[in-house]
Amino acid sequence: MSAAVAVQRTAAQVTRRAARPIRIRKPLRRNEKTGLPIPHVNVILRDTQQSRVADHYYNTLQDDLMYMTYVHEPHARKAPRVIRSLFDPEDPYTMNRFNPIAGGSRWAREVPPPTTSENVVKLERIQLHSMQKSAVTNRSNLLGAIMAFRAISGESIGAGGRRTTDGVQVIRGKKSIGNWLREGVPIGVKVDLKGPKMYEFLATLVDFVLPRLKEYPGVVMPSPKSPLNTPHGASGVVSFGLPPEAMVYFPQIEINVDAYPALYGMHIHFITNAQGVGAQNSVRALLSGFQIPFARR
Amino acid sequence: MFARRALSSCRTHRSMHRTTPSSRSLATATDANAPSTSTGVPPLAPSKPKKEAPKHTLKAAVILNRSPIISRTPTPFEKSYYAYQSRIQRALHNPFPNEFYFKPGSLLEGKFAAEERDREREAFGRTSSTDDDAAINASKDVLEVLGEEEVVKLMPRVHEADLKGDVKSLDRNGERNLYLLLRAKDAAGKDVWRFPQGGVQAEELLHDAAQRDLHAECGAHIDTWVVSRNPIGVYQPSPSEETYLFFYKAHILAGQVRPDGKNIHDFAWLTKEEIETRVGTEYWTGVKDMLADF
Repeated sequence: MSAAVAVQRTAAQVTRRAARPIRIRKPLRRNEKTGLPIPHVNVILRDTQQSRVADHYYNTLQDDLMYMTYVHEPHARKAPRVIRSLFDPEDPYTMNRFNPIAGGSRWAREVPPPTTSENVVKLERIQLHSMQKSAVTNRSNLLGAIMAFRAISGESIGAGGRRTTDGVQVIRGKKSIGNWLREGVPIGVKVDLKGPKMYEFLATLVDFVLPRLKEYPGVVMPSPKSPLNTPHGASGVVSFGLPPEAMVYFPQIEINVDAYPALYGMHIHFITNAQGVGAQNSVRALLSGFQIPFARR
Repeated sequence: MFARRALSSCRTHRSMHRTTPSSRSLATATDANAPSTSTGVPPLAPSKPKKEAPKHTLKAAVILNRSPIISRTPTPFEKSYYAYQSRIQRALHNPFPNEFYFKPGSLLEGKFAAEERDREREAFGRTSSTDDDAAINASKDVLEVLGEEEVVKLMPRVHEADLKGDVKSLDRNGERNLYLLLRAKDAAGKDVWRFPQGGVQAEELLHDAAQRDLHAECGAHIDTWVVSRNPIGVYQPSPSEETYLFFYKAHILAGQVRPDGKNIHDFAWLTKEEIETRVGTEYWTGVKDMLADF
């Protein structure tokens, strides 16, 4: 029997060796809109180059931030005080009841988890956001902002075969407010940057934009007395704005400023994995490591 | 919050010990709000408390780090991976809006088209679209009109210090983390390589002591920043004695080490592997996990 198997194997090898590459009988299907060929497999684009800023984070910043945010706790933490019984599927009393936490959600008052090498503060994404008031009267006023955001971010929907890449999104009004805003009206644009593109944007911001702003003091921090146990201080997000004049300094815009109908200001949100009381401070330490300047008022 | 409390406690201590040499004069801008603490030359040898001998002796040591100054050289695998992904990107990217960026028929558009053709050929080899004679001639004309461009010459990735084997240069081994090692006599009078270290004065904070000891051993011509008020590791030189050496991480910002030649005979900026060959086995076991592998 084994001899028969061996014979079969050799036969298969011989035929495989003799086989020619498969002739393409049917050309690739093409996208009706763009006319571009659609590959047979789901091609997903990964990193195309080394990221200098990401390397800086993993080589230097991550260690430093772990040492800076580490708080020595010689004893295990006490379990949080349970004010009343919380949702428990096993408990017939709480099972089918609406059971909100007494005194509301207190996530912003929770102490951050102990710092380990696993949960060092890390940039997750950068969100750019711009509201255009003039878009309320004429929605075509948003087109310039969309184009500028596309140029700055380099993102488009499903770029690189990734389903999670949303590209530049149009923001619509959530509810009607007087004679200023109506529900469902396009009012602004936003774009989420993740991964290598995020670090690329950060490098552009720090190397080209911020140094060329006239008399720029740095990102103004709130007063040191402002509480750190509010959602603002504990959510691990640091935001600041850029004036419309700053948009010229992005090299992607600088090359053909005249093509845009106007310059647009933007909000930049740095969203990280830090959470708990005082998370904002560790995020500022992280951003300062990327050379974003901070200033007291 | 805790961090703020730690800060405020530190501030009170600083006001008590005004002699702490924490000024950075060489590279960083001075903070106008911070009280200037550079009142004089730091004492060379830390004085030990002269009362009855304490139970434990604390010492502070500094792991002075020079971070990588150039990007890492990718491995052959990484290079081919990035090249492959770049080809995928080139094949699948959205069409480039030529008319948005260039005036139709302008010289710059022609130049861009010529450069793009070169890049296309580099990625996919010669194809019918890249070898169109008429287009090539047109691009040649454009390049002639625009004239010769300045060729950007890149700096070499290998520094002179690497070729000479100069371990004192801060420019050597730009891709790697370097650490400062000093050659000094130990308690037994033997010449050993070790990190900068020193004693802790009475009622002095450990991280202040670390900064002071660093300047005492390396001279004043160096700007450093001690990363954290927390030590990053502890080492007990001999199990019989109750001496504990607390390590702090610091970065060099500017300047260079200038040892006095009395206590410190030599210094070197070394990578992790090079440190292993110079220090004793026991010391190495104690400190190796505090150093970055790369």
